[in-house]
Order: sequence, then C-alpha cells, then structure tokens
Amino acid sequence: MPDIKVTPLGAGQDVGRSCILVSIGGKNIMLDCGMHMGYNDDRRFPDFSYITQNGRLTDYLDCVIISHFHLDHCGALPYMSEMVGYDGPIYMTHPTKAICPILLEDFRKITVDKKGETNFFTSQMIKDCMKKVVPLNLHQTVQVDDELEIKAYYAGHVLGAAMVQIKVGSESVVYTGDYNMTPDRHLGAAWIDKCRPDILITESTYATTIRDSKRCRERDFLKKVHESIERGGKVLIPVFALGRAQELCILLETFWERMNLKAPIYFSTGLTEKANHYYKLFITWTNQKIRKTFVQRNMFEFKHIKAFDRSYADNPGPMVVFATPGMLHAGQSLQIFKKWAGNEKNMVIMPGYCVQGTVGHKILNGQKKLEMEGRATLEVKLQVEYMSFSAHADAKGIMQLIRMAEPHNILLVHGEAKKMAFLKDKIEQEFNISCYMPANGETTTVTTNPSVPVDISLNLLKREMALGGPLPDPKRPRTMHGTLIMKDNSLRLVSPEQALKELGLSEHQLRFTCRVHLQDPHSDTDTLSRIYSHLKSVLKGYAVQHLPDSTVMVESIVLKVSSSAEEPDLKVVLLSWCFQDEELGSFLSTLLKKGLPSAL
Amino acid sequence: TANMDISSDEADDWFMESLHIYRDLHVFQLEHPTKVIEWTGEKSICVADYSSARNEILELLLPLKLYAGGNKGLCPERDFKLQHGGFCDEPVECLRHIFGKRCVVTSGQYSSKLQVWDIGEGDSDIIKRTGVINPKCPSDKGRKIASGVTDGASVLHGSRINDVQQTELVSGRVLYAVGTDSLDAVSGLQFVNSSTFVVCANNGTLYVGDTRDPRMKHYVLHGSMSGSHWVFALRKDQPHSDPAACTVARLSSFGQVLVSDLRNLCSPVRQAQLNLQQNMATCDFLNVTWAPVLDSCLAVSGFDGKVHIFDTTSWSTVSQTPQPVFVHRGHDLSHEAKTDGTLLVVTTHVWHPWRPRTLLSAASDGSIHVWDWVDKNFEHF
Repeated sequence: MPDIKVTPLGAGQDVGRSCILVSIGGKNIMLDCGMHMGYNDDRRFPDFSYITQNGRLTDYLDCVIISHFHLDHCGALPYMSEMVGYDGPIYMTHPTKAICPILLEDFRKITVDKKGETNFFTSQMIKDCMKKVVPLNLHQTVQVDDELEIKAYYAGHVLGAAMVQIKVGSESVVYTGDYNMTPDRHLGAAWIDKCRPDILITESTYATTIRDSKRCRERDFLKKVHESIERGGKVLIPVFALGRAQELCILLETFWERMNLKAPIYFSTGLTEKANHYYKLFITWTNQKIRKTFVQRNMFEFKHIKAFDRSYADNPGPMVVFATPGMLHAGQSLQIFKKWAGNEKNMVIMPGYCVQGTVGHKILNGQKKLEMEGRATLEVKLQVEYMSFSAHADAKGIMQLIRMAEPHNILLVHGEAKKMAFLKDKIEQEFNISCYMPANGETTTVTTNPSVPVDISLNLLKREMALGGPLPDPKRPRTMHGTLIMKDNSLRLVSPEQALKELGLSEHQLRFTCRVHLQDPHSDTDTLSRIYSHLKSVLKGYAVQHLPDSTVMVESIVLKVSSSAEEPDLKVVLLSWCFQDEELGSFLSTLLKKGLPSAL
Repeated sequence: TANMDISSDEADDWFMESLHIYRDLHVFQLEHPTKVIEWTGEKSICVADYSSARNEILELLLPLKLYAGGNKGLCPERDFKLQHGGFCDEPVECLRHIFGKRCVVTSGQYSSKLQVWDIGEGDSDIIKRTGVINPKCPSDKGRKIASGVTDGASVLHGSRINDVQQTELVSGRVLYAVGTDSLDAVSGLQFVNSSTFVVCANNGTLYVGDTRDPRMKHYVLHGSMSGSHWVFALRKDQPHSDPAACTVARLSSFGQVLVSDLRNLCSPVRQAQLNLQQNMATCDFLNVTWAPVLDSCLAVSGFDGKVHIFDTTSWSTVSQTPQPVFVHRGHDLSHEAKTDGTLLVVTTHVWHPWRPRTLLSAASDGSIHVWDWVDKNFEHF
C-alpha cells in the first residue's frame, strides 16, 4: 500500500529542537534542523545517524526546508550541512534567509567565544551553508525535481515564518513549523487553503495551553515600564532588532502620548540601521492589509522616541532604552546593563528566550551576582522582568488550522501521548480523522489512498454512458471495462478495440463449443422445447429465448439439438458460447449433463 | 480585522484604565462558553460547555505567574494549561467538585441524571465518567448539586424541594431524602456542616435541613416582587464556635439583596436594592457569592456583561441603593468574538480561595478572565 513515513529526530520526550524526516513518494525531506538549547554537548544536535550511519547526507535527502529563523528550528543547520555534510538545496523564505545567518553568527559567538566550545560550526561554515539556500516566495509552487514540489504559506509567528506543503504526485504533507491563528499587531494570522493534505504535521507543545490575550501581555509591559518611570527608575529593553522592537516602540509611543509622559525613550542607533533593513524585508513579505496599517507610521518619526547616544546612560532621571543585542551577551545593551544593574529602582525587561551562557539567561534564572571580565562581580539589584510576546497557536488554533486545511490525518510532534489523549480524542471525534503522536525517534507510517488520474477516451466514455444507469458520481465508484495504456508519463483508458487498433493487432474472438448427450424419447424439436422450458425455470434472471430457427439462446449462448437416424433417442445438444460468457456456458453444460426433469 | 494600533476607542480606554484598577489581569477565550467554574485544587479549575454538540469538561491549571510570589517577574507563564479533558453527552448545567477527591459530579440540560467523573492523575489526561446517579423519583432536568463535606464522598441534589436527596457516590445509596411535598423549584443548595444544609428555592424561600431528620424548617420570603427569581450564597463566619454561624445572602433577578444570619432567617440584618437591570430573558446566570477573605464583601453577576462587587458593611435594614466598590467591565470591553448581536452576559464567577481580591469570571461569548482588582481605598498592597 502506498504510504508516507514521518520520523521526528531526537530522543525520548525532549522538546526544544525540531527536525523531522518525511518519506513521501520515494522522496526524503528534512523539515527544520533545530538546535536543542538546553544541552551543551552533542545532544543539542539532531541525531542524523537515523538517515545514514556514516558519511554525508546528500544522497539520502532530496531537500531540506527551514520554517523560520528561531534557533530551535535552524540552529543545527550549518552543523548538518558543513560538518556532517549535505550539498543539496535548502529551502526557506527570503526573510528567513536574511535573518538566519545573523542569528546563527550571534549564537556561534556566544557559544564559542563566551563559553569556549570547540566542536561547533565556524563563521565560514555559516556562509557556506547559506550559499545552498534557495529562497521561497509565498504561495509559489517550486519544483525541487520532476516529481517533488513544495509551496510556502504564511504562518504569522515571526517575520518570514512559513508553513510548507510538500507534494509528490497526488500525495502531500503540510508541515506547520510554528504558527499562530490570532492576528498579531504586525504579523497577522496563519492562512492555508483547503489543500487536503494526506498528513498535517504540527507541534503539540502549545496544544494544551489556552493563551492569555495579546492585550494583557502588552498591559503588563506598559504597567511595568510605567511603575519604574514613576519611581524615577531607568528601563532597559534588550531587543533583537528584527521583530518585536518596532511593535513595542509603537506601544510605548501611543502610551506616552495618552498619559502625557515626559520621560525620554531612546532607540539605540545600531537598532535604527537594522530596523531599516528589517523594514524593507518586512514590506515585501507581508500582505497588503498589514502593510497599509503598519506603514501608516513612519518608524523613524516617533514623537517621543529619539536616537540614543551612549553618554545618555549616565543622565539622571527616568528613561527607557531599547538596545541590542537581545540576550545581553555583548555590545551596547550589556554596557548599559552594567551601569544600571546596581540600582533597585531600575528595571530590565527581557522580551524573549535567552541562550545559555548569556547574561540574559543568568538573570532570568534569578542570579543576583554576575562574574564579568577581569573577575569583577556585578550585583544585580535592578528588577528583572521576563515577558513573552511570541505568538503561538494553542489548542483552539490547532482546531482552526485543521478546519482550514482539511487533512486526512494529523500528526502531532513533541508531545507525550498520554498527556494528549484528550486532544487526540477531540480531533478524531470532531473531524473523523486519525491523530498520530509519535515519540521522538519513532517512525509513523500513514497509509494513503492516492487517486491516480487517468485520461479516458471519448468513445469509451460515451459507451459507458449509453449503458444507462445513474449519472456518474464521485462518491459511488463504478466498475468499467477498458484497456489501460501506460506510455511515457501518461495514463490512458481506451476501449479494447481501440487499444488493439493502436497496437496494430486484430481482435480475436474466442468461442467454445461443447456437446452434451441426452437420452430423450421425443423429437428433436420437442427436446429443444423441453430444454427451453427447463432453462427458463432455472435461469429466472436471464434472457432465455426460443428462436424460430430452432435454437435456444441464453444471453449470447446458442443451443441446438440434433440426433442421428440410428439412435433417435440419443440427443446431442450443441452449446456454443464466446469467452465473455464462459461462466454461464460452463454452468449450462453442467446443468444439462444432469439430464432433463421428467415432469416437463 | 484586528485593531492594529491602540486608538482611543472604549476598549482601549478600558485597557489603559486597567493599568491602575487591576494588579493582575488575564483574558482568555475558550472554544465554547461555560456557565460553571469550580475549584478542583489550589491552582486548578473545571469548566464545561453548555452550548455545543460535543460538550467538553476541562480541568485547567491557572497561570503560574499568579503563584510566583516574589519571583513573579521571572515567571513568564501567563497561560492556562489544559490538564485534563473529557466529553459529556449533554450540555452541563451544574458541576461540583467532591470534597477531598479527584472527582466531579455534573448535571445536564437534557436529563435529570447526575454523572460522576474521575479527573485522573498524572498518567492520563482524560476525564472519565465512572458512574451515573438517577434520582429516585420524578425530577426536572438540570438538577442542582452540592458536595457533601465529610470523607465519605456524597452529593446533595435536587430540582424541586420534594426531590432533594443525598446520594453516596460509590454505592449509589440514597443516604437521605427530604420529607416535604413542596414543589418549589430549587435554585441552589449547600452544606453548612456535615449534617446541616440550606436550600434556596426560586421564589426566595429558604429551607434549613439536617440529614438526620427528614423534616425541614422553611422561611418564606416576604416582600419579594412577583416574578422574582432568587439565588443565594452562604458564608461561614469565622472564627466562630457556633457551627451555625453563617451569613446568607439572597439576590433576586430584580436586584434585591437580603443578608441574613442563618440563626435568624426571618428578618434580614441588611438589605439593598441594587441598581441593576436584568437584560436577559433567562435567569439562568444569576449569581451571588461571598468573598472568602474580605469581610462582608459580595460579588454579583448575571444581569449583564459585568461583575459587580459590593461592600455590605455600610448596609442597613432599610433598603438603599449602594454603589459598588468595583465593577469588572472586561467582558463587555474586550469582546473578541463579536457575535450575532445577542447580548453578552457573565455566566458565572468565583472568588480565589485565598487571594483577597482575585476573581475568575466567564461570559456567554466563551471568554474567561482572571482579575485582581485594586481597592481604591487601599492604595498599597
């Protein structure tokens, strides 16, 4: 039976790294190649030995697809392509292609320079890896080869995030990556058409959450900023330039306006340059509606937000500063942090996840004393706030997506089957589809029922229709006879005569003849009549005819009776039938061999 | 389309105001609305569908941020976690957690039976039905339920005064049945202690019973406006040596509130006429609750899309129209699902057991909020 195999790489129940292998129609595809941020050793990389025990992966994979730039989806990509070895195409959207290398380099710097690790990819490897990238546009079908095609859909979540449809023939799989179904301020909600994939693969990490509204998260942010400003404190917001920063700026600007606040808000210059870059990426990526609303404000003409100069950090009084980099691991944000950390009136707001080894990670774990360069210790007295703004789909979102795409099966990765029995039941009951929940390292095989499109000849179609009966209905299959011609890549269904004609063969008819001997004292004509009556009573559903030319016909089978002058009571019944009526013909000969009932 | 910018419309005004009037605020959207919120543990609640074909019962863990105490800043967890879920064959009318057990009992809108559910432990996340209780007499649909307060798991349930009975869960044995033939419809019931219980009828009459005696004392309500539908709430006055020292509040669909001492139900000690108009044709969602921590504070909902909190300390025996100390307008103003124009109504609300000003409220649009309001009279926390 045709099937599709899905294997999430990784061991046990660990979440935090996405790397899924799909085998479909003879093609092998790797979906995402994430790094596990919780490990410091080789466990952070996906286990590629599943694909091959030794050597490069190029021969075993038809393509690699990356859904978005978060490190748990792309962090292991340079390791996979340059250290394990893969030279085939890597597909991702344009913004992902632009942002990935920046994040990977940042990450590499932290891991190697800060933590002194050795078995890690180099800057050059990142560059070499990105050379293999083929960028994708939304809703554009890309032919990876003759048989494999892929298409990207808008996923929301972060800039450039995509859900991907993979198709071979009439079998297809949709992988969602991370997505959200409630529109974000600048990103909008995920969207897909009723593409009816055989399998919809999605994360189950957030499947059991019910998300607090975006507004409440923003409220919390504004409340915290306001409280600090009110008591004369300074607020540092380390950001990665490309993403939330703009959104938070707009939020603060409107708030300042409304509350008539006077404290200065600064945006570090490094951010402004990167923001420009982001802006351009963003504009070409998002849809018309979002573009219009977002573009309404010119990001560099905030009334209350000014460019930062590092001397301002020493100014007295309250202020808010957005500075890079986002995890406080280097640069301006770390410098400012060092100056402000000792005052409990101040605050640092971390808007997202921080990688191990960074100052951000340490303070989010409650560390109050930090060791800086030159053995200096820094006391952390300022208030630390961890806020999560990233948009993920929750239980409701998954149901909405299933309703949109109408998959035949759904596969949830990164969940514990026991802890998701309810969701499985819910999905199966509401949509009447199967829900699979493989553990990491476990392969799920889903049997598909692909339809094979075949061209039917007009003559054959007309002939079938002439037979009458109900009109063709896709829900009621009908058996028909024809000849299937498979030539090159086309499939055609034609009548047998036409097939023979095309092949230059003449049609042969097969006819069987059989003689049954009967003892019957009547005349030949009477015997024939008796046979007729007998057959008519036995074969009630069939067309039995007694013809004037002294033959009996049952469907197309012909019966004649004759006898010799020497033995007039020994009747010879000649039966003749063609190949198509073989079964009935055999039945009749067996029946007549038993003799005629005397009651006739 | 979503509002992309904070502009100056009413919803935004409320959000801005919320910075000052709430300490904590969480706004969630369930797939289907619930009319029950029941505490099943210190940090978990049960909710259930009353409106869809496949009625789900969900046990949700409250956002961890609420419990992070001093480390609140470091905890980013703002979401509900779905811990357990199950399917009920009818819309859930009433849901009660059984004291001391990982078990809830529900009644539904299609039948008079009660269903017993096991919430489940670490292993599986399914809420499984373990039994059915069929009342031993004719009964209306959607019986009201109260949990027994002793170790032996039992429920007190009824639809009319004459069919109120107590059933032991495990055996299904009827432990007690009232000996009165009053046909008054039951609007609520509750145990005061292991044997004393109070039942409130739709017309406001209170019945006080003891499971050791089928006879009940009843206290007819005088001066109730005709057509009133009444609900009640009980609060144990602590600390107190007399187990019957309870305060009873009754709320009518016309906004009348009577506060009485359980030991003297004939004359209320306080009363008020709330300035609340009932918009709904149904009294289904009328709800009054006593704050478990704050003194003399009660919350009222079911009239509209708001929850109203009153301090009854200043009330007297002469009915006046008090101002609420707080009104939660969140459901009206953060109305995500702009539906067919049917009026939004708060379907239920509960107080947090030990956080003084934290409440949970749900509305007919499927929203569920967790909020901690600021008392303007006490600026410090």
